[in-house]
Amino acid sequence: MTLMEKSLGTVLAEPTISGGPGSVVIDNVSIEFKAAGVLAVSNTSLNVASGEFVSIVGPSGCGKTTLLNLAAGLLPPDVASGTVLVGGKPPVRGNRDIAYMLARDALCPWRTALGNAELGAEIRGVPAEVRRARALDLLDKVSLKGFENAYPKALSQGMRQRVALARTFGLDSPILLMDEPFGALDAQTKLQLEDVLLGLWQRERRTIVFITHDLSEAVSMSDRVIVMSARPGRIIADVPINLGRPRSVRALQKDPAYHELYAYVWTKLEEGLSQ
Amino acid sequence: MNEATWSSGRIWITRLVVVVAFFSFWEWISVTRRVDPILIGAPSGILHFMYQEVFVTHSLLEDFAYTLTATLLAFGLGSVGGILTGMLFVMRPNIEAVLSPLLMALNSMPRIALAPLFLIWFGLGIGSKIALGFSLTYFIVLTNTVAGGRGVNPDHITLAHTLGASGSQIFRKFTLPSAVPVIFNGLRLGLVFALLGVIGGEILASEHGLGGALQLLAASFKTSGVFAVIIFLAMVGVGITFIMSWLENRLLKWR
Ligand SMILES: Nc1ncnc2c1ncn2[C@@H]1O[C@H](COP(=O)(O)OP(=O)(O)O)[C@@H](O)[C@H]1O
Ligand SMILES: [Mg+2]
Repeated sequence: MTLMEKSLGTVLAEPTISGGPGSVVIDNVSIEFKAAGVLAVSNTSLNVASGEFVSIVGPSGCGKTTLLNLAAGLLPPDVASGTVLVGGKPPVRGNRDIAYMLARDALCPWRTALGNAELGAEIRGVPAEVRRARALDLLDKVSLKGFENAYPKALSQGMRQRVALARTFGLDSPILLMDEPFGALDAQTKLQLEDVLLGLWQRERRTIVFITHDLSEAVSMSDRVIVMSARPGRIIADVPINLGRPRSVRALQKDPAYHELYAYVWTKLEEGLSQ
Repeated sequence: MNEATWSSGRIWITRLVVVVAFFSFWEWISVTRRVDPILIGAPSGILHFMYQEVFVTHSLLEDFAYTLTATLLAFGLGSVGGILTGMLFVMRPNIEAVLSPLLMALNSMPRIALAPLFLIWFGLGIGSKIALGFSLTYFIVLTNTVAGGRGVNPDHITLAHTLGASGSQIFRKFTLPSAVPVIFNGLRLGLVFALLGVIGGEILASEHGLGGALQLLAASFKTSGVFAVIIFLAMVGVGITFIMSWLENRLLKWR
């Protein structure tokens, strides 16, 4: 609320675009950490439609995380200008429309896999039987059947990130914000988890904004890939990925169309680096 | 250095041989008066004393009960106080900023120097012993609680914020559980120090308790009796450590 009021005065006279449920609208947004003297994001606009899978790539430090944090209402109110609408509403911390997933799994070591998968829904007050049933179903979908009662210390990194996926999808939020969720995994595990994620997404088609520094990951999973420049981050390319659905990330590795798109996004990213 | 590892049976037997040899040697130099028994007592005397005081007069058991009561009260009060203060500090950093230096100054006082004051305030009975044990346990548990509360994973806090967790949810579901192992370390130490404080207090002024018994026996040069009490105390210490480890393994099996 405060953010939008501020933005009305500073940059826009009226919000010109209004997003529906499940959409994310970022219009002419700049983010400056004045205390640190850092302009992280500059005049960025981006619309993500409901049910769309959009990836954002860009060099490290270009403001990708900051942009997600803005949408999730995690930034202090006075650092951003412009308009942001998440599900048609200005961003607020704890917005139930949003499920957020971090690069590190952030599992609670004192909870079992099941307890962790339930955690998000538990905090948001979903009744115990409902969230448990959902968590069990999701653990099954991420191939962790039989590990429900295992503690995180007994799980591999890939398995832990599967639990984190279950925790994220265990929320009924229409918008998923993911900040390099597979960034810490080895290549093999990453491929597996990308297919797990696509599988989960293709069931429900929720909106995903997916941040990564891995181009192949972005191209193989997304409907669109957004390329950002080095800091201060701006959008320098918005590439539609016209590959069929449902997709399998592993099958795509042999598809020439995929490699063409990959090369194209790569060129764009290079341009952004050399500017 | 690449010595073959002994079986546990062989280790136990060798250990037993070492112990028997040690006590036999002790008995021998004492009986043959190569060293004055006033200085070193004798294992036979220690055994006799133990048997008498435990099974015949029960006086060692009574002293033990007295010391144990004081220790558990000091530990209970000290750890509840330490945990509550610690939690308050974690939730209200301003209160910590004000009080922490004062408490640390208190904590750096040599506790035994406060004993005479505690005697004036709480009398010669169990009160002053509890006070001394409390004054040690409280600070140890407090420090560990604060450290544990600070040690919460920042990713958990970010996650909690995106989930819209309330302050009390963050505390119950993230801060507290992540602090428990560190608090537990504090409790383990706190119990040992509660015992130390109580024994110290009893040695200074008490006719009861194991510390009182030690003082009395030493004053009348019953050296075997002194050794008997010390050995008894060592067993109590081992027992405490064992119980705490058992509890920890049960409560913190996720580690
Ligand atoms: N709270 C903050 N205060 C000051 N500077 C920040 C803050 N958060 C991020 N930054 C800066 O903003 C820039 C973008 O950061 P970030 O969004 O994390 O980049 P990335 O694209 O790698 O995710 C970086 O230069 C970072 O140092
Ligand atoms: Mg980042």
